[in-house]
Amino acid sequence: MEERNIILSAKDIVVKFRVRDNYLTAIRNVSLDLYEGETFAIVGESGSGKSVFTKTFTGMLESNGQIANGSVMYDGKDLTQLKTDKDWEGIRGAKIATIFQDPMTSLNPIRTIGSQITEVIVKHQKVSNAEAKKQAIEIMERVGIINAEKRFDEYPFQYSGGMRQRIVIAIALSCHPQILICDEPTTALDVTIQAQIIDLIKKLQQELKFTTIYITHDLGVVANVADRVGVMYGGQIIEYGTVEEIFYEPAHPYTWALLSSLPQLGEKGKELYSIHGTPPSLYNEIKGDAFAPRNKYALKIDFEQEPPFFKISDTHYAKTWLLDPRAPKVEKPEVIKDLHEKITLMTEKGGAYYVEQ
Amino acid sequence: MSNNKEVLLSVKGADVAFDNGGKKLFRAVKNANFDIYRGETFSLVGESGSGKTTIGRAIMRINELSKGEILFKGKRISGRISKEEDRDVIRSIQMIFQDPAASLNERATIEYCISEGLYNFHLYKDEADRIEKVDKALKDVGLLPEHKSRYPHEFSGGQRQRVGIARAMIMEPELIVADEPISALDVSIRAQVLNLMNKLKEEKGLTYLFIAHDLSVVRFISDRIAVIHLGRIVEIAETETLFKYPLHPYTISLLSAVPMPDPRIEKKKELIVYDESKRDHSGEKPILQEIRPGHFVFANDREMKEYEAKLQEMEARG
Amino acid sequence: MENNNKEKDLFSFADFDEYQSEHIAAPRYSYWKSVWRTFFKDKFTVGVAILLIFIISFAMIQPIFSGYDPMIAPNINNAAMKFQSPSSAYWFGTDNIGNSVFDAVWAGAKNSILVALICTAINMVIGIIVGSIWGFSKKMDKWMIEIYNVLSNVPFLLLAIILSYILGSGFKPLIFTMTVTEWVFVAYFIRTQVMIIRDREYNLASKCLGTSTWTMITKNILPYLISVIMTYIARIIPSYISYEVFLSYMGLGLGSSIASLGKIISQYTSFMKGYPHLFWIPVSVLATISISLYIVGQKLADAADPRTHR
Repeated sequence: MEERNIILSAKDIVVKFRVRDNYLTAIRNVSLDLYEGETFAIVGESGSGKSVFTKTFTGMLESNGQIANGSVMYDGKDLTQLKTDKDWEGIRGAKIATIFQDPMTSLNPIRTIGSQITEVIVKHQKVSNAEAKKQAIEIMERVGIINAEKRFDEYPFQYSGGMRQRIVIAIALSCHPQILICDEPTTALDVTIQAQIIDLIKKLQQELKFTTIYITHDLGVVANVADRVGVMYGGQIIEYGTVEEIFYEPAHPYTWALLSSLPQLGEKGKELYSIHGTPPSLYNEIKGDAFAPRNKYALKIDFEQEPPFFKISDTHYAKTWLLDPRAPKVEKPEVIKDLHEKITLMTEKGGAYYVEQ
Repeated sequence: MSNNKEVLLSVKGADVAFDNGGKKLFRAVKNANFDIYRGETFSLVGESGSGKTTIGRAIMRINELSKGEILFKGKRISGRISKEEDRDVIRSIQMIFQDPAASLNERATIEYCISEGLYNFHLYKDEADRIEKVDKALKDVGLLPEHKSRYPHEFSGGQRQRVGIARAMIMEPELIVADEPISALDVSIRAQVLNLMNKLKEEKGLTYLFIAHDLSVVRFISDRIAVIHLGRIVEIAETETLFKYPLHPYTISLLSAVPMPDPRIEKKKELIVYDESKRDHSGEKPILQEIRPGHFVFANDREMKEYEAKLQEMEARG
Repeated sequence: MENNNKEKDLFSFADFDEYQSEHIAAPRYSYWKSVWRTFFKDKFTVGVAILLIFIISFAMIQPIFSGYDPMIAPNINNAAMKFQSPSSAYWFGTDNIGNSVFDAVWAGAKNSILVALICTAINMVIGIIVGSIWGFSKKMDKWMIEIYNVLSNVPFLLLAIILSYILGSGFKPLIFTMTVTEWVFVAYFIRTQVMIIRDREYNLASKCLGTSTWTMITKNILPYLISVIMTYIARIIPSYISYEVFLSYMGLGLGSSIASLGKIISQYTSFMKGYPHLFWIPVSVLATISISLYIVGQKLADAADPRTHR
């Protein structure tokens, strides 16, 4: 494998939130190396910490949260040391931009779309208003707004949800960031619009060569966008690898369960593979493996001791005792064996998801 | 096949209009026609603003019809009906809501939430009987009797949704309208709720109207599917037929948008975008027409010819 | 050897219990317990509450022992007894007719507080009942809005003057004056609150379960409104006290035979120059009662909001 530049490196991040009198540990010792130009997807359910983790890269933790440990190295600086908005100037929004789930939270409802884009361009690139407007219209066209010149002076409410998200993307990209964090950018959108937005982000990434962190709970989306994947559970990354490794050779029982329970793989009249119980409460101290109480394959040691990362390949690591040589051999569930073959059958002619192109 | 089945619910020429601001009426549902047979899971699939929830709520009689009627077991339940009929319908048709956080009374215990329907219709002999029923309902959905004295906010999303299911089930309804029951839930919880709904259906001989925005969920759970777009039902067919021979371009675009958990396939996928405004609207007004027994598509005669040709080609291929 | 066995055991499968992760570890939640716990956590408010309880009980009990009656002035002809400064015998001194200011203030406080509490109770009960039905019924809304417009536009002072002519002065007429139109404000407030939460999904769910409107009001709506109702009460009790003070000051209140803070203040205002303590003592008592009522009420309202619990 070719040597690739690490653009951002997070080490041993611990994030705690103070909620009234309690401390909640949302992120427990997470490390991540992000390579230049790649799309790294973080999958997890709500409360797994996927959003919180990436908020440490832009200093956007809620005021009751703090980074209790660890470092985030970017461009020779440790981002965890930056405190004030002034420290962040030139990084947040400029070098590392974020797109959120709900486009309305990022747009000002009483200002025109155009003025909101030009404002960002003027602020970060110090160009004239006329030049900024020219750039804004250009970028609006780029994100697929038809009639950009005319729609420049419209307000957010005149745009549909999908179009608003395009505008948010336009704003995020207007300063040519190096890293784009997409925090569930399509969760609030309809499925057909979701697919269009994903395509758009992929297309822009090829043109503009930025690095993407894609946060989602939807494995279908991950399969579409990601080069590499990290699976988060209970405030930790529990498995990471290339997208093919995660889908075709998953090693952690939680990844197995997530994949197996997808309704796309369900057969009518049969039970769907399901995960029992509920995700852990981060208020309590987690002993051993956070997934153990819901894990059919849990070993006794899972309740005692936290598993380390076991290396599966140069790019693939998983945090489960099942990979320990002393552990009994366990095969992944039947549903996700030969996944590629199964889904090929589904999407080929005659399969349930075959669509004539 | 559909002829010898009992029609449980029938929606006939239903329109729901809202006045937003007074001047113009907004037609959320336009001339909806479909039957639901006893014992089946009938799914209504569409995106936001398609009117799918409005139809569900019209059946629950939360929204009023502005045109048409809804029949349940042959009797009209839309519009004005007598008090007695009203009580019968409430018991027979129950609803599962989308957002389990918003649909439970936060100031009441789980015991009250589940007993609410029992109290309203006095469906118990004595206190002991009521408690027994509540315990049974909790057990049916995989919760514990100790949860009775807890409050909804102490539960996780999946547990709350199961409380919502238990509260509907305790009424022993015949039809359940499930309005996107899993879309607000965590991914790891969705399968368990779907399995539970299927299990309860088997055990209690229920009929479901399952409302969803995503075809993948619906394929697993339903017998027949109606696809709805901008207030209009564009295609109805049995599940296997709809997936095998999708005809309406909107159905096809929905199908192509289902994300598949396979990176090699997903990365090659071409998107099929449906744009209502770019369609050829020449010819007569389209209506919902039966192209094969049980397979309906929204089309005019010109489009029907196209669909017929396409369908024959697909059938020949097998 | 032993170590080896232990390790083997550790790497064997654990028993899987489906229900294991269904248990809720957190201690049992109780709404009212949480309300009180939150309330008592704030030491300052607890101090104010103790002071308030002390003042109110003192105001209720002291007049029984003093037997103060504004119509009786045994020392009226004894010049030495008039305008005495505060002393160990007369804690607040004596007034222009030689009566103990201490006795007068507490007898006045008793009546003022009673009037305020009774009026609050009457207005809240009527207002909540009418307001919650009003908020639910679209039919009722049409004509209730008209009634509200009429009643809320009656000038209060004019009404008080007319009613005092018709009914005379006294305890019951004053309470009638302060409730005959005031309830409509409470009702309107409750109506708006009900309308805000009426169409929330959990209420639709109750409707689908066949729950009657009245049960919806008592089980679904009012429990959600406890906190805003408390805030409202915390605001109106002090304001009713000041209404009473104001009306009695204007001579429209309780009448000359019944002691009240308002009357005492109005009576003593004329001695402001020579004997300012005569004025300031009842005013301070009034202020202390009003402010502490407000603080305690607000804190209770906060504590009644489940978002503050945990």
